[in-house]
Amino acid sequence: MARKRPSAPSEECHVNLIPLGKVDSLAVSIVAANLHTVLGLNADALPPIGNPDFAFLPLRNQYSAGKIIKMLETVNGSAKFKIGIVQCDLCTPILKFVFGESQLGGQAAVISLHRLWHGDPSRTYLRAAKIGIHEAVHLLGIGHCRAADCLMDGSLSTEKLDAIPLRFCRACQYEVSRRLRHAFGGPEELGT
Amino acid sequence: MSLSKRIMVVDDEEMICEALRGWLEKDGFRVDVTFSGQEALKRTEDSFFDIYLVDVKMPGMNGMELLTRLKEVQPEAIIIMMTAHGSIETAVEAMKRGAMDYLCKPFDPDELSLLMGRVMAHKALQEENIALKEQLVESHEGFFDVFIIHSDPMRNIFSTIDEVAKSSAPILITGETGVGKDMVARAIHLRSERSCGPFVAVNCGSVSESLLESELFGHEKGAFTGAIKARRGRLEMASNGTLFMDEVGEISPRMQVSLLRSLEDKSLVRVGGSKSIQSDFRLISATHRDLPALIREKQFREDFYYRINVITINIPPLRERQDDIPVLADHFLKRYTEETGKRLEGFTQRAISLLCSYSWPGNIRELRNVVERAVVIARGRMIGAEELTFLNPCADVASFGPITLEELELNHIRATLDSCNGNMVRASKQLGIDRSTLMRKMKRYNLFRT
Ligand SMILES: [Zn+2]
Ligand SMILES: [Zn+2]
Repeated sequence: MARKRPSAPSEECHVNLIPLGKVDSLAVSIVAANLHTVLGLNADALPPIGNPDFAFLPLRNQYSAGKIIKMLETVNGSAKFKIGIVQCDLCTPILKFVFGESQLGGQAAVISLHRLWHGDPSRTYLRAAKIGIHEAVHLLGIGHCRAADCLMDGSLSTEKLDAIPLRFCRACQYEVSRRLRHAFGGPEELGT
Repeated sequence: MSLSKRIMVVDDEEMICEALRGWLEKDGFRVDVTFSGQEALKRTEDSFFDIYLVDVKMPGMNGMELLTRLKEVQPEAIIIMMTAHGSIETAVEAMKRGAMDYLCKPFDPDELSLLMGRVMAHKALQEENIALKEQLVESHEGFFDVFIIHSDPMRNIFSTIDEVAKSSAPILITGETGVGKDMVARAIHLRSERSCGPFVAVNCGSVSESLLESELFGHEKGAFTGAIKARRGRLEMASNGTLFMDEVGEISPRMQVSLLRSLEDKSLVRVGGSKSIQSDFRLISATHRDLPALIREKQFREDFYYRINVITINIPPLRERQDDIPVLADHFLKRYTEETGKRLEGFTQRAISLLCSYSWPGNIRELRNVVERAVVIARGRMIGAEELTFLNPCADVASFGPITLEELELNHIRATLDSCNGNMVRASKQLGIDRSTLMRKMKRYNLFRT
């Protein structure tokens, strides 16, 4: 796993987590903590901004993930990456629903807690952390993976999400470390 | 593997096109979009697409018509129809006209993944034969040999190749001489997104250190005596492709430092030069030596080892996958009977058990040579144990009492040289090593003029 680079100043913020509307603040903190432990990214939660009403699609009674991402791009943040968190149900023009969506190699992504809900809150939070990491890795320009038990699996149902450990396959891990170094610099021992 | 597959999305709604593009790119496809049937047909005149995702309802030429036209010009194309208002009749009609599947927008996320998985499996079946068999057998005699897979270890290696091909992680292939490490490297290259780029191989064990340096890094004019003009090195030639460094265990620690620097920065400086040249390649290394042991002996740098060994693929020696021996032997028999026009039906039971009990120090290469020779000397309709007498089954080793690996190697080299009347080219071929390696070993064992 990528660790924090000793030479990088620890104050440097890599990811802004942006709640849209009312979002469980514990979920936001847990996503931030996992972005840090798994990817070595410093993630700061910004104060919540308004409900994403602008992205509501009356015909589908859902919210457009694409529109939210477009809006997040315009948010003034301190970090290279911006990840929105919403409570409402997200969809795209081609998919009935998504847990999250991001620009491949871009700067903005969004995740939704709506379908990740579980009676046991710790399970909900862990699911959110996994989706947050998955979308963040897309921002690094890494696509889906067909290896077994890899967080970059392209078809994550909640069951699969629960079964997959918080890790990548070796090939993805290598790419993640390499691209993190490329995006944020700093010497880092890779490849184990 | 899917990275090189090209998909065309045809839909008059731009939003749908862009959403599909985003999804498919994450799945590793190269995606083009067009907004009408006419435009799509026009694009196929100068570009090739493996897969088409086509909306049924479009102004102008509708999706069904496009489906028919595409199937005329490219019968093997995989075409998937999409619609916002599904009806059974159109679905049936689409399949009749050759569509692979029919989807209703919006899709279930799982549905799309499963479908693309099916599409890729279908493509792989279509291509397995073409790409891995024809093209490669042609371009590289013997390529197929290593992929005669019967045993579980080789099946595992095959699935590992598929898994790791798409990343750019460095790979170390280990295994004895003659097991086909170079072929596995080639297969990885061909299945990677760099398959359009060059595959550049360099054998680090066959040349002196100074020569290897200019071989790898290239040199500027006048860098040393004899450097009458500037030359690109292998690292530079491999840009956007794969660099295969065979016998990486033979590289001196000093050279490992230079290579390490190049691998870190993806750049290099030619011998005698000063400017840094960018080169982005995927590194595959191979060795038959025990690198961790070399590290303990301080002959190999640990940092370099970890840099080249992100993913390891170990190819087991032939004696550890006896299941493959009869299959491989049959394969070579067929090849050489075709070449020589001899009529041979197969191996006798005794011959097969002899082949299976032999230790095959030269692995596949040695087996190939043995079968070739047996075909030449065979008199009957079957190859029997008589034709394989020169094999000296390894069971004999025990009767000599305990001997060291070195003594075994010495005996084997001596016997092979004898059987080749001292012809080093033939002997090295039979031993499955190159001539310079044989010379080195002969020097070590004092075999010259004995
Ligand atoms: Zn994804
Ligand atoms: Zn993976």
